[in-house]
Amino acid sequence: MSVNYKTVVQKPADKQWYLLGIATGLAITMKHLLKNLFNKKDMITLNYPEQKYDYSNRFKGNHILTVKKDGAIRCTACMLCATNCPADCITITASEHPSAEVEKYPISYEIDMLRCVFCGYCEEACPVDAIRLGPEWQTPGLNGAEFNYDIKHLAYRASLKGGVQSVVDDKERSKSGI
Amino acid sequence: MLKCTINGVELEVKEGTSIIQAMFDNHQKIAHYCWHPGLSIAGVCRLCMVEIEGNPRLQIACNTVVTEGMNINNTSSKVQEAVKWGLDFHLINHPLDCPICDQAGECGLQDQYMEFGQYTSEMAEPKQKKRKVVDLGPTIVLDSERCILCSRCVRFTDEVSKTNELGIFNRGDHAEIGTHDGKKLDNRYSLNTVDICPVGALTSKDFRFKQRAWYLKDSDTICNGCSTGCNVKVYFNKEGLFRVKPRFNAEVNGHWMCDDGRNTYKFVNKEARLEKSQEYKNGAWNVTGAAGAVTKSFSKLLASAQPEEIGLVLTGQLTNEEYESILNTFTNTLKTKNIYHWKSPETEKNNFDGLLIRADKNPNTNGLLAAFKKHGISSTWTDLEAKLNSKQIKNLVVIGPENIAVYKDIETQVNLFTKASNLMYFTSAQVAALKASQNIQSVTLIPLKTFIEKSGSFTNHAGKVQAFKKVTTIVSDALNVNEVAQLLAGQEIKLQFVPTENLFIAENLRPDQVRLELRKKNEFFFNKG
Ligand code: SF4
Ligand code: SF4
Ligand code: SF4
Ligand code: SF4
Ligand code: FES
Repeated sequence: MSVNYKTVVQKPADKQWYLLGIATGLAITMKHLLKNLFNKKDMITLNYPEQKYDYSNRFKGNHILTVKKDGAIRCTACMLCATNCPADCITITASEHPSAEVEKYPISYEIDMLRCVFCGYCEEACPVDAIRLGPEWQTPGLNGAEFNYDIKHLAYRASLKGGVQSVVDDKERSKSGI
Repeated sequence: MLKCTINGVELEVKEGTSIIQAMFDNHQKIAHYCWHPGLSIAGVCRLCMVEIEGNPRLQIACNTVVTEGMNINNTSSKVQEAVKWGLDFHLINHPLDCPICDQAGECGLQDQYMEFGQYTSEMAEPKQKKRKVVDLGPTIVLDSERCILCSRCVRFTDEVSKTNELGIFNRGDHAEIGTHDGKKLDNRYSLNTVDICPVGALTSKDFRFKQRAWYLKDSDTICNGCSTGCNVKVYFNKEGLFRVKPRFNAEVNGHWMCDDGRNTYKFVNKEARLEKSQEYKNGAWNVTGAAGAVTKSFSKLLASAQPEEIGLVLTGQLTNEEYESILNTFTNTLKTKNIYHWKSPETEKNNFDGLLIRADKNPNTNGLLAAFKKHGISSTWTDLEAKLNSKQIKNLVVIGPENIAVYKDIETQVNLFTKASNLMYFTSAQVAALKASQNIQSVTLIPLKTFIEKSGSFTNHAGKVQAFKKVTTIVSDALNVNEVAQLLAGQEIKLQFVPTENLFIAENLRPDQVRLELRKKNEFFFNKG
């Protein structure tokens, strides 16, 4: 198989001519400067962090652990998300729930956000809609430990206002005979 | 001998062999739930369907005996259909529990469904609800909904443990496994029912929810719980060891093992271990240097001491190879015969429960006795007591037991050992008794490896020598007794240091073994009996 290729030779620096390029660039800058100066309302730039942009609800940002109707964590600690996670950043400790109806639940659920690649595979693997990627993305932290989200933060952080409810309900499923 | 053809392979089998047995011996695959090579035939699951030439209807392989010239197959579309719809009947009332079911990943229903099933259920009725999370006894939890009523567990308590605790109650789709009112499933072999249950109906309380099956690697070894020496598999990952299951060996343990043997993984795990060598000096315990260097430093001390001032105490928990090397060092290099056998309280009794459990809780008492005989050692424990009390033995080397729980007399004996002015105590376990001892003078604790971390052989009660290979490394700094023997003899040896990230890497993989990396990639390979 023959490969077609072309050798590109760059002009030596003293033979290059920049003036046109500089002028075009400046023209664009000036255009936006003047447009924004006289028409502040339509300015695209935000004064972050005073002003914030809200992404759509479908944005795949920080994880949320959903809750049941009674407010308890929906997760059953099946570890399918942890198994599916390509970054290996989910750590779950399962335990026996006092109620036989629940049987198994997580006593700890941690996501190392610095390792997470936001692929959404955990969400896809979950059989009971217990984990979702939410629209939040502004999550600064002062040190590595603050990026280790624990179960409380994932399910009940203030911005979730008491928790997001899962669409899969065991009691209803049980009633319909599944 | 009878000739028959199974799936195109010509076989010769003994008269009276069932078709499934012939296929099993010939490593052919066949779906089955109720048949188990160690139990009687029930023929209730109807999954082991085979087509026999000249027979209009499919037959079950487990309850059909091979006759001369039989031509059998279980690969035709007729058989596949039968298995598929047989499976559908099993799943009619089966709950959608896989995510929280401990059996998931090694479940007979999942395996067969992936192979034959993959249909949408044709049932319009809602599922039959049964009892869940039933406390069957001290070791086992039952989930009746998951049970497929294969009756393996019932036959086990009937035929093997002969305790008859389990039975099938009610009938039709209300039938379920249970025990009589107020009775518990409580015998010393109860956990075998968890192993043979093809689904997740019986789960072990000890293992429940600790790990998912696909996070575990397994390796073969020999149980060191008693002198029977059952062949076992240990399951582990980088967090530690999690369970022990029996491995078939017709001559030793058949398909089974006892419940006590399943706890032998506990004293191997890091939490129970002595990780660094420590010494008692000037009234306080301090961590000292590397185990190898500390041991080496003793070789000069021992070489300069008189042979009568040196003593060695051994238990029946080391391998034959280790006895040979340590006795070689003490009798030939250090020229002492002050070598003593520390027996656990029941070592002498030859109690046997008729199935597997023996009173001697040391795996290799026979190996130790043979090594003593070979090196002409005949000293008794009273000897040691006398020599320690009269301060004749000054430097005492003790190689302590790793299964410390069976040494009920450890406190008394440790108080005896501390009478030596210089005690070197090699142990894999933490010795609380030593730390609590009042009259200690100069003591050095040096970490040892356990049976999981070394290769060697045990001689069991019947004199059968069983070799086993190193499974993994758990405490890197620990020594095995071969190394101790060489170091005490003053030899230069190179100790292998295993970095922390390499701990728990399996070292004796079988060629057919499911590798953790593949499991993580969701490529599930299962080789099941
Ligand atoms: S989004 Fe992807 S990387 Fe992040 S936790 Fe989920 S599976 Fe893991
Ligand atoms: S979040 Fe979903 S997939 Fe992950 S352990 Fe919980 S139930 Fe299983
Ligand atoms: S027994 Fe098997 S099929 Fe049934 S819930 Fe457990 S893993 Fe799933
Ligand atoms: S509990 Fe398990 S072994 Fe016992 S009958 Fe049910 S499925 Fe079979
Ligand atoms: S294995 Fe033959 S009927 Fe169950």
